[in-house]
Amino acid sequence: MKLRKLTAIAASAVLAAGMLAGCGSSGSAASTAAPAESAAASEAAAGSEAAAGGTYKIAMCQQHQTNAFQIAITEAAKAKAAELGVELTVFDANQDAATQISQIDSAVAQEYDAILFEPVDPAGLGDAAKSAVDAGVLVLNVVSTVDNWESFGISAFSGGSNVAAGEMEMQQVADLLNGEGKIAILTGPSGDSGGIDRHTGYENILANYPGIEVVVEADCEWDTAKAQSTVESWLVAYDLDAIVCENDGMAVGAGNAAGANSGIVITGVDATPDGLEAILDGRMTGTVSQDAGGQGANGVEAAVKLLNGETLDNNMILTENIWINADNAADYQ
Amino acid sequence: MKTKSKSSFLSDYFIIIIFVALVVLLTLIKPSFLSGKNIINILKQTSIVGILSFGMMFVIVSGGFDMSVGSTIAFAGILSALLGQGNSPLVLALAAALAAGLAVGIVNGIGIAVGNLPPFIMTLGTMTSVRGLALLISDGKPITGISESYKSVTTATIANIPLLAVYFVVVIIICSFVLSKTVYGRRVFACGGNMQAARVAGINTTFIKISVFAIAGLLAGLCGFLMTSRVTIGQPTAAESYEMDAITSCVIGGVSMSGGVGKPWGVVIGALLITVISNGLDVLGVSSHWQKIIKGIIIVVAVLIDVKSKSKKN
Repeated sequence: MKLRKLTAIAASAVLAAGMLAGCGSSGSAASTAAPAESAAASEAAAGSEAAAGGTYKIAMCQQHQTNAFQIAITEAAKAKAAELGVELTVFDANQDAATQISQIDSAVAQEYDAILFEPVDPAGLGDAAKSAVDAGVLVLNVVSTVDNWESFGISAFSGGSNVAAGEMEMQQVADLLNGEGKIAILTGPSGDSGGIDRHTGYENILANYPGIEVVVEADCEWDTAKAQSTVESWLVAYDLDAIVCENDGMAVGAGNAAGANSGIVITGVDATPDGLEAILDGRMTGTVSQDAGGQGANGVEAAVKLLNGETLDNNMILTENIWINADNAADYQ
Repeated sequence: MKTKSKSSFLSDYFIIIIFVALVVLLTLIKPSFLSGKNIINILKQTSIVGILSFGMMFVIVSGGFDMSVGSTIAFAGILSALLGQGNSPLVLALAAALAAGLAVGIVNGIGIAVGNLPPFIMTLGTMTSVRGLALLISDGKPITGISESYKSVTTATIANIPLLAVYFVVVIIICSFVLSKTVYGRRVFACGGNMQAARVAGINTTFIKISVFAIAGLLAGLCGFLMTSRVTIGQPTAAESYEMDAITSCVIGGVSMSGGVGKPWGVVIGALLITVISNGLDVLGVSSHWQKIIKGIIIVVAVLIDVKSKSKKN
């Protein structure tokens, strides 16, 4: 009897989940009903609009909007768009590749002149980008790229180099430890391309420092509470000289576990407000700023240039990485 | 009910056997696992999920379950971070967190008891919307700048015991008392055992249903207040999938998913067990991916033993 009830609940749950998913895709399907026939039209429209000096419409398809880094990109892109007098609409893919594909499709159908997007999945978004390009829309990547992005007709990339950020972070740690010591690494969710690149940066530097030993590593999924528990547990078992984290959220957790001025070097990446606060009160040693705002603003600027028919000096526009520690953290708050 | 067959003995104490075996095993591999410092770690790491699990226990015992508590922690945590900045009195932050949690719980309860929605659907809805609310209020960014006195709510200790663990113990005592010693508690069990019979017996089942979700929400609000203090920031993405940890603690602690059955001590051991798995494997430096695999296996085995012992009784 009970079992039957449970089965019914489970079945209705599955149904509901299906309906939710269905709603999402059917909603966007409705808006993308006529992309094929409007493709040629939009190409013509884009041309005539530019000729008439009309406002460009730019769609910004963001991977998600749930942390300080992403919000900084969005805010800077909006500010740049206002400054250049173009219309910018932000779409949030909520970390879901299918959602992002339908958002790109509907941006094409709604005759946007350009699409700036941060791929949720580097391997899965190429075809969506290609079909937008084929429909005559200018497509750019921000923050990270689709694999082999140029082969899909994507015009430019504006972002920071995560490999370089990882290299800068680990180089600072190596210098602070004088090339010797035991370190631990906290990583983002397995498979995240940003995290993988930062890790590659770590490895590039560690290759030069045989005296630095990575004793333990854990995937804390960018989460502060999880990082805090993991580091609390580690400190019982290991004698660590440094804890190198792939983002500030986890570095704050590590700093909370170790306490202020613990003597352990604790570093992150991103220079988010929580990280800067922790640097100023001694829980963290330093962080790498990737100039999140610059990545968004540069992307909008490049899109407008290309829409105006100008050319870019370089189709990879990378922001400068900056090392932030207790000396200069206050300037970035 | 109290037929002490071999299998019911096993199902009653299975979880303790597993727990002790795990602690012994981990200590043998790494003696520092049982050091005073690590025991304090385990207490700190168990407390928030433990408090949440007791709210979940009320709901599951009454025959429902609640997917929204993780989001509620984030929402309440953001509110208390905003109110816990600067010198404003902490009571304000605590009151806001509790009120927010209570409100989400009451909405859940009304949807389920009055609207007749299945608990899964109703709380799936609030789980999604409340997470959105947390993101909206915080603009997707972490809230920094909480006061030192707010931070000390969880970092302070009494005779080396972290206050966080003291809160958990208080929650255990109150919840155990309410569930096993009061008329209200017996009615919660009665509703989960057989809703029809409870109604016929004159129990106001609508009130019981709303109240258990209100309790779960209230405790999730408390967890939000404590979470912000522990991680020193209010995070809109905090406590993702904590509802699963709370359900896991209940299930492996012997609370039956079909309602009407469950012991408070089981939930305490359940919460300690999932913490010890994470903590122990962290101490050993084992990949966090293994933690998930092991947790999953323990859930299935625990429920399997529960089901087997019931079918024998029948």
